[in-house]
Amino acid sequence: MNRMIKNLTYKHIILFIIFAFCFITSVIFVYHNYAFYERPIAKITQTSMEEVTDITDSYDNEDQLFTQRIVAEIKNGDKKGQLIHLTNEYSASGAYDYPYQVGNEVFIVFDKNSKENTNLTGSITDLKRDKYLVIIGWIFIFTLLIVGKKQGLFASISLAVNIILLSYTLDIYVNTNINLLWLCGITVILFTVLSLLLVNGFNGKTYAAIVATLLGTFIALLITYLAMWVTDENGLHYEEMQFLTRPYQLVFLAGLFIGSLGAVMDVAISISSAMFELYQKNKNISVKALKKSGFDIGKDIMGTMTNILFFAYISGSIPMLILYLKNYSPLGFTLSINLSLELARALAGGIGIVITIPIGLYTSIFFVNRMREK
Amino acid sequence: MMNVLFLLAVLLFLLMVLIGGKKGARSFISLFLNFGVVLFTVFIMTDPNGNPIIITIFACTAISSINLFYINKVNSKTVTAFISTVVTITILIFFIYIVTKKTMIQGFGEEEIDELNVFSLYLGVDFVKIGAAVIIMSTIGAITDVAISITSPMREIFRHHPSISRKELFTSGLTIGKDILGSNTNTLFFAFIGGYLALLIWFKDLSYTFGQIVNSKIFSAEMITIFSAGIGIALIIPISSWINAYYLVKRREKSEGN
Repeated sequence: MNRMIKNLTYKHIILFIIFAFCFITSVIFVYHNYAFYERPIAKITQTSMEEVTDITDSYDNEDQLFTQRIVAEIKNGDKKGQLIHLTNEYSASGAYDYPYQVGNEVFIVFDKNSKENTNLTGSITDLKRDKYLVIIGWIFIFTLLIVGKKQGLFASISLAVNIILLSYTLDIYVNTNINLLWLCGITVILFTVLSLLLVNGFNGKTYAAIVATLLGTFIALLITYLAMWVTDENGLHYEEMQFLTRPYQLVFLAGLFIGSLGAVMDVAISISSAMFELYQKNKNISVKALKKSGFDIGKDIMGTMTNILFFAYISGSIPMLILYLKNYSPLGFTLSINLSLELARALAGGIGIVITIPIGLYTSIFFVNRMREK
Repeated sequence: MMNVLFLLAVLLFLLMVLIGGKKGARSFISLFLNFGVVLFTVFIMTDPNGNPIIITIFACTAISSINLFYINKVNSKTVTAFISTVVTITILIFFIYIVTKKTMIQGFGEEEIDELNVFSLYLGVDFVKIGAAVIIMSTIGAITDVAISITSPMREIFRHHPSISRKELFTSGLTIGKDILGSNTNTLFFAFIGGYLALLIWFKDLSYTFGQIVNSKIFSAEMITIFSAGIGIALIIPISSWINAYYLVKRREKSEGN
């Protein structure tokens, strides 16, 4: 413990104070930001159970329905401070409804017919989730900082930068009519350059990884596009994207483009760091030896990397699959409607990962050879 | 007419075998096995009497055995990585369950609900627990990846410095972990964003205010998944470093005792 305190420099102390300050102010803010919302918010002060009914749907699924009477205090707007009576119905399974408890803060709508002198009544539209989001965000940042120290800090910063960049890109897309794929192409270049430079610094290793990432993602996108063109998109079901008033093929391709980027970047930097490390240890290492080690590393990471993407894409569909199956939809129909886009993304991402292995290898060798000539 | 998924799968298989040889083929087959595990898990979860949390812990155990033992064979690296994964998943799932319950992000969002009006939503299964299961399953691939990426170079270090102390070994595991922390959180971040791009565009199209986006169920669920994934990746670094250091030093002490 003593040694730890001695190791602290002024820089650390200042950083710590900045983080503590941001943490405290943001938490205080989300707990008192009612005035910033136009939608009325109420804090629940009292709940009571009115009735419980057992129900069975037409597929023999058994569930229970509960009706709650809720009293809540309005927190913003011109009725601030007044009490409101709310009714909430929820089920035991909770697919689209929730049991509320005292202390929950909720968005509400007023009933139109509530008269001046009677009790205010209304219903709940949704939970106010912002404060939870901020707290979990801070748990995330602190865990990264405690485990990763400086690298944890960089990881959080690059995540924040990427979120802001993505939000701007979408704003530009929605407000202008630039082709989404071109826009994503530019954003992908920015994402790659920023993330890799921020974490790995300005050096040959990073340059090789940037070139490999860009080539890898663009080629993977091209292959997927060609495969979709050759097969006339047979087997892809865009039903789950049909709420969009946009050309959904384009949105799907753009999502695929961005989705595989992180994994491809990871492969590219793993290969190039290893290549440069081998070169630093032995400046006379032959190209053949470099290639062999590069392919060995590639073999080791391709399985787990494709699995990362696979689970990140597929898992989100589990509740929908359960809903379909419990409503007795045929299995084949359920899978093709709900998983075709996710599987296509996972497979295309896998192609990106695998193809980046030789690309990363050869760009690294190119940069290593240039260093040798100097 | 050929199916896109079939064509992409064939292309992926050819590339994996071309570049990875036998191990590439095993990596490809592991995707199929994992798909089977996911489907089987979904089937069991449709039974209202089962506990989705317990089912998920079993599913994650099966998935990490496929990712570690089937692709990489059984050895001390994969065994310690496996134990670390199971320990981390078990700790993480309780945290995620509490978070899901508090934030009420389970089930379906109001953006999806219109299309679901032909379905009965009162199914008797516990969607809060299923919601927690979804988050943990999204992260399982990344967690096993970090575990093996730490235990495998740690064993190399141990081989080159056989007299290294447990504490030094643990610290070197942490150092390796720190280097991969950023790239792994990034990988997951982009994958999740890529999957939800359509919804994000929709939010912008409907000119949702910042407050509406942040409080909406789907967006919060997405952010909480990213945060939990990051927490999981960060947690497994000290856990697997410690378990591996403990195991390697214990084994050395045992062989010295003989």
